[in-house]
Amino acid sequence: MSRSRALAWPLLAAALLCLPTLSRPHAEGGALLAYPAPGSYRLDHIQRAPQGIVLEDNYFPRLLSRYTTGSITLLSFFYSSCADPQGCSLAWEAFEKLRAALKERPDLQGQVRLVFLTLDPARDTPDTLGAFARAYEADAAVAPWHFLTTYSDFFLAPLLRGFGEEIAVDRSASGEGGPVFNHLLKVFLIDREGFEREIYSNQSLDVAAMLNDIETLLIEAGRRQIDRPVVSDCLLARKAPQARLRDEGKRRLRE
Amino acid sequence: MKRLVARPLLAGLVVAALAVAAPLARADETCLSPYTAALVKGQEAYLHVWALGEKGLGDESDKLVTVDVDPKSKTYGKVVNTISVGGRGEAHHMGFTDDRKYLWAGRLDDSKIFVFDVGTDPSNPKLIQTIDDLPDQTGYVGPHTFYAIPGRMVIGALSNTTHDGVTGLAVYNNKGEFLSAHPIPSENGGDGYGYDIAINPKKNVILTSSFTGWNNYMRDLGQLVNDAEAMQNFGNTMVLWNLKSMQPEKIFAVPGAPLEIRWSLKEGDDWAITATALTSKLWLISRDEKNEWRAKEVGTIGDPSKIPLPVDISISADAKNLWVNTFMDGKTHLFDISDPEHPVQIYEKTTGKQVNMISQSWDGKRVYITSSLLANWDKKGADNEQVLRAYDWDGKDLHLKFEIDFFKEKLGRPHHMKFSGAVGKASP
Repeated sequence: MSRSRALAWPLLAAALLCLPTLSRPHAEGGALLAYPAPGSYRLDHIQRAPQGIVLEDNYFPRLLSRYTTGSITLLSFFYSSCADPQGCSLAWEAFEKLRAALKERPDLQGQVRLVFLTLDPARDTPDTLGAFARAYEADAAVAPWHFLTTYSDFFLAPLLRGFGEEIAVDRSASGEGGPVFNHLLKVFLIDREGFEREIYSNQSLDVAAMLNDIETLLIEAGRRQIDRPVVSDCLLARKAPQARLRDEGKRRLRE
Repeated sequence: MKRLVARPLLAGLVVAALAVAAPLARADETCLSPYTAALVKGQEAYLHVWALGEKGLGDESDKLVTVDVDPKSKTYGKVVNTISVGGRGEAHHMGFTDDRKYLWAGRLDDSKIFVFDVGTDPSNPKLIQTIDDLPDQTGYVGPHTFYAIPGRMVIGALSNTTHDGVTGLAVYNNKGEFLSAHPIPSENGGDGYGYDIAINPKKNVILTSSFTGWNNYMRDLGQLVNDAEAMQNFGNTMVLWNLKSMQPEKIFAVPGAPLEIRWSLKEGDDWAITATALTSKLWLISRDEKNEWRAKEVGTIGDPSKIPLPVDISISADAKNLWVNTFMDGKTHLFDISDPEHPVQIYEKTTGKQVNMISQSWDGKRVYITSSLLANWDKKGADNEQVLRAYDWDGKDLHLKFEIDFFKEKLGRPHHMKFSGAVGKASP
């Protein structure tokens, strides 16, 4: 029995009970400070996404840049037998939620591509991943979802280095279900020019933030106008003058 | 085929169940960035100490000192590695990258940042990069706090190139390339000073605290305290930032140089605590009855009239206890903060002639203390002991397990500490 199956069934009933709660957008109950309006903030150009050779559908080599340029991209590493609740499973859930959210946003449809790149090229062959791709191809017009692999670890390694993704095989946890890769969940938001502009972790993988960031990149690229006035939540303008606080601090220090 | 297609749905359900059944582990140990991977939740194997070089002592250089702290090891309590980085530039604080493979260590005087590979072999760190463009890129000097966010490092600086202290945050990618600068507000209630950074990603919040500029922190402490005008040039504020936009949202009056900031690690909590160096107070940053963030004085450390100078704090993983070191009287205090609005001191011990940093293990059973504050602020003569002390905490008393005299060993002045697990033993 695979690790994922062993985990899944005992938790299925609990999961179903929890779904209504989990379906709420994270930001509503999570972030106390409102996210800034799209276009009102800047995302750093963290680094250019690395170059490399990947496979999709068949064994014909393709440049990774085919999947990281020309459209806004969300890319995450995964592997099909992953059962880590804090790992690739979270990315999977986030991508599904994002796709569902995009269905409600016609203005953003066709602007975003989703990419999963496997950490396990030995098991996740083009044939294997092709089944995943076909399962998600129905909503390709909303956001195509590409499942990529590589010829081997030799081709995967430079991509991991380039993205700054450290992995280690957990030999004690690996078994019949396949190897278990310890890795830090990272979802990379990549702009149309191929620059990483945000990296989400299991601490910040929030669909509301991802939608805002996507919209911000579209505004920056001139592909979308700011359609509502940007109201800054910055309270600085309403604060007391600097002198008052400084005087208060100095007075208390003297005391 | 059917099995494969069903897997995504199944994976989603498993995630959904675990997300509720098992609260997300807040990554901290107990003061690291919440984005940091591979927490050391069991016995730490190595302690990395960033030490200031001392003229006339050994090679006189600042250095990263690695100590074996595994009681089962044959070299327990011994220095197993040193890396001298050259020169003396006021070595101060360190921070791991998000993957915990690299340790960034800064110097407050020459603003150099040294990047060590501690992930490949923590017993034998390697210096792999030196970053020296912070002043040129930002106008800031004195890189103090190194706080990891995914793929990047947020650096909290202490001062600026004019040395008066108006400073900010700088963001670098993990390759050491500068990305952006974010000034700490110096108007409309802000004083522009910087010190610590503490992020609560679930609340989209950054907190920063404030110390003083290069003109003060590089000056002899005896001269400084007798200069009334210079003593006015300390931070009296904390700033609450919007994490996503990296823009300040609110400024709190927290008089007396608020230094280290610690978020409660307890799931569901959303408060942080800090200590003010000059006024010797504990301050709580939390929400009021109107759900507004506020800073509130909640306790006193020692006798403020004697200026004990609380310099470092360490919160327990369950947010019930807070260690506080007071530099001037060499005391280590333990506060019960299970009611963070009303901290109560429950233990106190003199742990040195001068004590500065304090770090506890995830389980709270081990506590490490170092002695050096700043080269020009450390005590003089016989009181200038420079030691690392390791204690066991049994819930009632600190028991000394070993100490290393950094002067005797010709290592310099020990300041900041970080843990490493043995390779492959850290919790994922």
